[in-house]
Parts: sequence; C-alpha cells; structure tokens
Amino acid sequence: MDAFFAAVEQRDNPELRGKPMAVGGKDKVRGVIATASYEARRYRVTSAMSTRIAKKKCPRLIIVPPRFGVYKKISQQIRDIFYEYTDLVEPLSLDEAYLDVTENKRGIESAIQIARDIKEIIKAETQLTASAGISYNKFLAKVASDYHKPDGLTAILPENAQRFLDNLDITEFHGVGKATARKMERMKIFKGADLKNYTKSELGMHFGKMGAQFYDIVRGIDERPVDPDRKRKSISVENTFRDDITDTHEMIQELKSLSVKVAETLQKMEIKGRTVNIKVRLPDFTTFTRSKTYKDFSNDGPLIETTAVELFQNLDQEVTGVRLLGVGMSNLDNQDEPKTRQMDLGF
Amino acid sequence: MKFSVSSSELLKNLQVASGAIGSNPVLPILEDFLFGVKENVLTIRATNLETTIVTEMNVNADTDGSVAVPAKILLDTLKALPDQPITFALNDDNRAIELTSAFGKYKLAGEGPEDFPELPEEEDTNSITINTEILSKAINKTLFATSNDELRLAMTGVFVQIDFNKIIFVATDAHKLIKYTFGNISSDQAASFIIPKKAMTLLKNAISRKEDVELSYNKTNAFFNFGETKIICRLIDAKYPDYNAVIPVDNPNDMLIGRNDFQKSLTRINIYANKTTNQVILNINDGSLTISAQDLDFSNEATEQLPCNYTGEPMNIGFNAKFMIEMLNVIESDEVKLEMSTPSRAGILLPTEEEENEQLLMLVMPVMMSH
Repeated sequence: MDAFFAAVEQRDNPELRGKPMAVGGKDKVRGVIATASYEARRYRVTSAMSTRIAKKKCPRLIIVPPRFGVYKKISQQIRDIFYEYTDLVEPLSLDEAYLDVTENKRGIESAIQIARDIKEIIKAETQLTASAGISYNKFLAKVASDYHKPDGLTAILPENAQRFLDNLDITEFHGVGKATARKMERMKIFKGADLKNYTKSELGMHFGKMGAQFYDIVRGIDERPVDPDRKRKSISVENTFRDDITDTHEMIQELKSLSVKVAETLQKMEIKGRTVNIKVRLPDFTTFTRSKTYKDFSNDGPLIETTAVELFQNLDQEVTGVRLLGVGMSNLDNQDEPKTRQMDLGF
Repeated sequence: MKFSVSSSELLKNLQVASGAIGSNPVLPILEDFLFGVKENVLTIRATNLETTIVTEMNVNADTDGSVAVPAKILLDTLKALPDQPITFALNDDNRAIELTSAFGKYKLAGEGPEDFPELPEEEDTNSITINTEILSKAINKTLFATSNDELRLAMTGVFVQIDFNKIIFVATDAHKLIKYTFGNISSDQAASFIIPKKAMTLLKNAISRKEDVELSYNKTNAFFNFGETKIICRLIDAKYPDYNAVIPVDNPNDMLIGRNDFQKSLTRINIYANKTTNQVILNINDGSLTISAQDLDFSNEATEQLPCNYTGEPMNIGFNAKFMIEMLNVIESDEVKLEMSTPSRAGILLPTEEEENEQLLMLVMPVMMSH
C-alpha cells in the first residue's frame, strides 16, 4: 500500500488531503514519524525520522496520531482480496505481502493481469492505492514493487532481470543496511554489477551468511518460496519514553513490565522461546542489545523478568539514562524447520 | 606462637587446604588459613563455610598459639622460596606475623583466631570406612555427570546412598545419569545424603592412595577423615530425584562394541556434528554400526562404519556425542554394551566386565528431532 497509514488518514479526513502530513508521535522530543504522506516526502520527511527533525524539514507538517485498529481492519480487507486469487499469501506487514500466483484460483495466466485486477479492487473497496511488483522470485518482486510508487505496477521479466539487477543500487538489496552499505562502498561495490566482481567465498568472508545470499540474488537466484504461514521469529515489546528515564530503579521496573507483556503475548500465542533479548537505547541514540539463551523453551514471566534485569545489570556500560527499553524472546518453538532436542530424564 | 618447618612441606599442606578457600569470600577472614600450634603439631584450617579442610603436620614449636593468616600472601611467599627451613613467629600483642627464611624476613598482619568460623560439630554421626581406591573411582565416575543448574540444587551434588553392606553413588544432570555401586562395605546402616560437587572435587584431589577413608555423617554435614586431613562439608539440603524410576528395565536391543574404537569414532564424527546439540546418529543393524553426523549450518557431514555385535530390531537413534565420549572415558572394560528400547527412550551404557562387588550403570537420553 502506498504511504499506508498516511493515506488512510487523508482518506478519512478531507482536510488532510493534498497537504504535507504524517502519522506518528506528536511530541516534539519523543515523537517519531511512522508514515509520511507523499506531500511530506517532498520535504524529505521519511518514516522513523524523529518528529523534531521532520518539523524542521517541513514546518507546516501536520502530525496525526495513528489509529491502528482502523489500519488492521483495512489490512484484513486487502488480504481477503488476495485470497480470492491464491492461498499462497505471505504477509510481511499490515500493508505488504508476497503472493504466489503461478497457479491461481481464477485461472488467469498473466500475473500482470492479476496485479491490475487486485489494484483495481483495492482501489474500489478502500479508496486507497497500492503498488505491485511482479517477477519470478521474491527479491525481484519486492524490488519491482518499490520501483514505481505510488499506484505503480512494475514487472521484471526474466530476460530483463540481469540488466535490472546490474543497475540496481546496492542499498536496494535485501539485507544491505547502512553499515553493510558503507563496507561495500569501501570495496567499490555501488551497483549490482560491482557485486559480481566478488566470488561467493569472498562475499561470505566479508558479510557472513548474507554474503552468499548477495551472490545469489544479484544473479537473479532467490529460491525462497512464498510461505503462507511464515512464523514469527521473535516476540518483542519496547517502549520509547516521553522523557529519558534516569533512575535505575525505574528502568528495572520498566523492564519488568515489558517482560510481563512479552510473557503474556507468548502465552496467548501458545509459543515458547529460548532466548531472552533486551534492547537499551541511550539518550544519544547509542543502542545496545543483549541476549541470553537457555537450554529449554519457556514463556514464563518471572524467568523473562529475571533474565531481562540480569542482562541489563550486566551491561558493561554505565547507563545513566535511557530513551528506549525493549524486551523480547526469540528462538521460538513455533519454527517449522526440524529442531533437534536433547531429551530429559523425566524427573 | 613460634615454630620452624620445611617451606615445601608447609606449602604442600597449605595447597591441600587452600582448595576450600573461595575466590570471592563473603567474609574477609575466609581469605585466611587458621593456624593452631599445640605440642609440635600445626593444624591448618580453611573454609568457604560450605566446605572446610583441616590438615595437620609436625613442626618444631617453641611456643603454642593460634592465628588467622592471609592465605594468598603466604602461599605466594612459599612458592617463591626454594625448599629450606623457615620460622614462623607471631607477636601476640599486635598479631603481626614474622616469617624468616635464609634470605630475610617477611612481615604480614594476622587476624584473631576467634573471628574464624567454628568447625561444625561432629554430633549424632554414623560412620563407615571406605577403601580409598573405591572412593576415588566413585568420584571419578560420577562427578562429571553432576549438573551446574543452581535451580535444581539436588543435582549439583553426588548422591550417596548407604544401604547396609553396599554404597551407591549417583550423579545426574537430567540428560545423563551415572550409578556406581560398591557392594562390599561393612555397615549396619541405611542412609542417604547429597555431597556438593565442590567438596567431591576437593576430596578427589586430597585423598592419597594410602589410607582408607572414614566417612562420618549426620543430618547436616559429612566428615571425611583420612590420614592427617579431614574434609567437612555441608550436605545439600534438597530431595534427590527418584533416579531408579527413570532407569528403563525392558531394553530388548543390545549392542556390544569395542570401547576404544567406539569412542575414537565418536570423537571424529563429533567434529562434524552440530555444535549445540553434538548430535550423532547411531544406525545399528545386525553386525554393523554406522555413526553419522551433520551440521546443516555449515554443510558439514561425516559417516563411519564399525563392526559390532547386535541383537534386536534395526535401530536409528541420536545421542549427544560429548556425553557418550565422557561416559566411555570412565569405563574400564575393553568392550561395552549399549542397551536400547526405542529412539526416544534412554540408552543404557554398561561395561561388559567389572571387578567383583562393583557395578556401573550409565544412562543417557537421546537427542531427538522434534516437530
């Protein structure tokens, strides 16, 4: 969906239409932009930007608080449209999904035709626009969907894929964040074509497991299937504070209440995990994450709580203030890949 | 208090006692040895409140007395001296200790003996005598299987069960279990208690092959007496799991195999196993064992085939190779027997030959694929 949250707000409130606006936190100190309207994007307001900076870039920017309930309802509406065509739908977030339409319920041969149909139905039912990307693997489809926005439709055909990938900025590659991009620049990798100057083992050496993936995707190889029941890999809850917390006691209280929420979520989903994670962001945005892995799966509140507090207290860094705290659980037992497990004597 | 003694003899005794000194004691005085001299005998004591070691040695004493001596500085001094007679003199007024060697004088500050923790009272005890060799065997065979999980305190120690004329040592970490039985002691008692792993380790290092060990125990402590040394430990106050209940009785599938070959093969295959689970697969058919492992994360895999004697249904079972290797390590017979029932139930590893009156049983749970 194009500028999803922002588009929904503009749809429901005519006064916001045609104006630079964003959905996010209003607070000038703590607020963060979730989604900016296209009008606001012209001022280089982007998501995850702090409201303070966004306001600086665009003083007329209107900030609207999010209405997640409404977004979820629309998200379900859109998913129902997808299911009219295929059951192989892998949602990535509220407003993004992969669809495998190789075989589809309507027997339509052209994937481009299906994309057109879906866009049209979405527009008619929700008055919102979506952008579609079509190709023969997930990576290319995703890149294609980002290529023309809003209301775009891009197909990357097999015969064009290589040229497209050669010219693609490396920052567009899945898994290339700021740090990797900097590293790649030092290696004189700017475009997809530059990636091809390195062997699989060289890329593996520099970028670990992701390296091998870069090697494949730049050659148009991405064998990941569209997985309709992709499982959550982790559950986490975090909180950005209106004012930095400076009292250690209060930080620990906060970690405890986050732990309780993580445990409740896990229990509701009937899953357990083995790795407890914490995230600590200092007022200067330096962020630490720490984790501890247990032998056994658990979703026990007190265990998550004690572990989170212990991880926090063992930080090799004096924490005099925090901007954000988070607690999470990963290594969940809902994963489908076979897990080998040391069995217990039943004491 | 003033005495002279051989520096190396003193060091040897202090090193035995120092095992009881913890790395981060809760009280400063626990960083000290307690010295007491009486009638030409020096008694050295060290404790971490849970375990206490007391040892005695002969010295040439001019005067009797007692004092707490900082352990580290004294040990370091003695280690740095070549063997020679040294004198140890205490100034009773200010507790200053003066050591004299052939090279010079060293002063250190002692502390009051009255501040040193009292010895646990040896009251209401029963006692048995155990052959040193047997005790040392029992510790070697069980200690490695104890758990480090402080949440299950009972399993962090070795369970000792005295059952009239036999004594049983059990250790488990809930994945593997070792039971070592010695059936030839003279006792008229039935009792059981859990000895902390730390005390067992100290005991293992301190016992010499010479004397038998007298083990006394009451509800709270165990007292091991041997020669000039005594190790006292507080028992773990927890209920030991009902280990007999988890030992499967009906194991129709038996494999007999050479211990050494089996262990070496496991060691090689384990190099290719997943590092977290150490899972190796034993595929057993009539007369042949195939051991294999793979680590999907690194695309590593390995397979070996060994001859064995097998009776039972063809079996495909996964085990933690590290556990297996540790267990095979403490078996003495050339051939071992692995008894199994199903791939999800415990395997039992046994020696095929044993000394009279001895029985060793090891249990290990499989590593299974779940989902």
